[in-house]
Amino acid sequence: MTVAAGIGYTLLALGPSLSLFVAVISRKPFLTLTLLSSTLVWLMSLIALSAVWRAFLPFKTATWWPYSLLILTSVALQEALRLFLWRVNKRMEEMLDAYADRVSKPRLYITDKMQIALAGGMGHGVAHAVFFCISLLTPAFGPATYYVEKCSKIPFFLVSSIMALAFVTIHTFSMVIAFNGYSEGNKKDQYFAPVVHLAAGVFTLINLASGGCVVGIPLLYVMAIVTLVHCGNTVWRRLTDNRSMETNLQ
Amino acid sequence: MEQNPRPRTVLETCGEEIIRIVTPVSICMLLVVILVSVLNRGSSLDDGLSFATMATMAYSESSSDSIWDKLKGALLNSLVFVAVVTVATFLMVLLFYFKCTKFLKYYMGFSSLLVLGFMGGEIAIFLIKASSFPVDCFTFAVALYNFTVVGVMAVFLSRMAIFVTQAYLVVIGVLVAYWFTLLPEWTTWGLLVAMSLYDLAAVLLPGGPLRLLVELAMDRDEDIPALVYEARPVISDAGLGDGVVRRRVWREGRGDFDEDQRLRSDLVPGSSLRTYIYGESESERNIVDAEDGRALGGDSELAAPLMQHINIRMNSLENAVSSENLALEGIGLGSSGAIKLGLGDFIFYSVLVGRAAMYDFMTVYACYLAVIAGLGITLLLLAFYRKALPALPFSVLLGVLFYLLTRLLLESFVVQCSINLLMF
Repeated sequence: MTVAAGIGYTLLALGPSLSLFVAVISRKPFLTLTLLSSTLVWLMSLIALSAVWRAFLPFKTATWWPYSLLILTSVALQEALRLFLWRVNKRMEEMLDAYADRVSKPRLYITDKMQIALAGGMGHGVAHAVFFCISLLTPAFGPATYYVEKCSKIPFFLVSSIMALAFVTIHTFSMVIAFNGYSEGNKKDQYFAPVVHLAAGVFTLINLASGGCVVGIPLLYVMAIVTLVHCGNTVWRRLTDNRSMETNLQ
Repeated sequence: MEQNPRPRTVLETCGEEIIRIVTPVSICMLLVVILVSVLNRGSSLDDGLSFATMATMAYSESSSDSIWDKLKGALLNSLVFVAVVTVATFLMVLLFYFKCTKFLKYYMGFSSLLVLGFMGGEIAIFLIKASSFPVDCFTFAVALYNFTVVGVMAVFLSRMAIFVTQAYLVVIGVLVAYWFTLLPEWTTWGLLVAMSLYDLAAVLLPGGPLRLLVELAMDRDEDIPALVYEARPVISDAGLGDGVVRRRVWREGRGDFDEDQRLRSDLVPGSSLRTYIYGESESERNIVDAEDGRALGGDSELAAPLMQHINIRMNSLENAVSSENLALEGIGLGSSGAIKLGLGDFIFYSVLVGRAAMYDFMTVYACYLAVIAGLGITLLLLAFYRKALPALPFSVLLGVLFYLLTRLLLESFVVQCSINLLMF
């Protein structure tokens, strides 16, 4: 549907990430490196999943349980990956603190740690958007468009861009929540990210039914908004606690 | 509202050196991908070039051959290419040994003239044809002439504004990489793998030409005249509280290091270690005559060894320095000096990504991430081993691996999931 539409779909999926990147992440080169590494890690997890599931695809049956198994395994792998990333992140923070001590600069602030988590989450989100949406957009730059039968009211590219936007939000901010939870030992936050991820994946299963995307996509956005709100609350609480601690110490 | 701004942490500047080299590599790859997708749309992808070039001397691939034939042909082509490159590198070592650096510099200028003038002109003509841009040949000739002359001066002289030099080096990399993508498919992949293996051998084996070159340059404490991309050095004054980053234009010769020593002597006491990563020596194919579309008889090769310097300043008081801390030292606040990356690395990374673009964009993204990961790994290994390391193998081999995995496994998985609007 012409270059303009193609660019439009791209910006729909990645616009907020782009502005977040320019405003926050591109200012600190370390965050850009974190973003690139977490994108790579997500890609590797995706390749591992596709290696396992390649033999079984495409599914011949129209029932939903093979798809749900696929979603389940994928989400499980990626959440295990998040735990692994937390360990790596902790090690990285220790190294940065040791380095800061050596060059007599202050240690990492709490905002710095949250920014690293944000960059990591955004890497996951951008990887999702790129591989599930943008890389399939090549036909969209041409003269025609494509519709899926299950969701025949709007073009396929638009649907996938909208879903990608929701997932980018979920991935980006649930990483901040998860890292906060791990560092504080807060069980609720620790379980928040896997639960939300699984719920989002399960909601996309609704799209398998004919006309299901009318129900599935709004539910997906509900999860995205829940993630955003919870992340905002967590960060606000953490920062005010920190500030009151600092004023108490002085 | 805070009364006094908090002092900056290490997060502000850590990793800036790497980003300064990742950005031009990414720009080069992006430009090649754009060129490939704009210009190679209509043409058939299997036939490649219809005229003979050095890279297809042994075997011209055609789409009707069987897979086994293509494999053998690609292998043969790559072996011939690597042999030519080896001979050219040894020739360069010989010339450098006999102190013919003037000749090498002039040769570099001449080859960049050829690349910018002829290859650049040809690609500009393709673009004009593809976009039906109205321009007459006199304007085009004048513009091309000016562009080429400024480019040659940027490469040749060291007094040019650093941004202009960097931009022209990236443009040269883009042009050469685009021409490499016109080769037949199997030959290109074979060439990439063969060049990365050659790079590994040439730098690490005791008799390797690049290792000899490095040792010669180190003994004489000279810079090798070659097409290298230099990033701006980052200097941040660790003594000041506000962490102001000052930039310094790289000056040629040893005066630079002395000034560095004086500048750093009060900030970070310790010895300075000079470590090198080397790219590989690269030979170009024959220049194509624009009118006839057939190769010129002349054998104009560009032998330009490509290297990467990293100056790592170590605190000699710190004995038990772990490998990761070395990496931080090298790329973080404590280091100064520019990172230089050879142009051949730019070119072969971009050829890989450009070839991936000829299949689909998903492979482009996967290969881009793989190449950047390989570059990062190479830099980390450099900080760990502190000796000359080749820059090609990790990136190219990871890139080829990711290309195959994406093409065979990932694509169908993702398409299947997306078609059913299933995402996670």
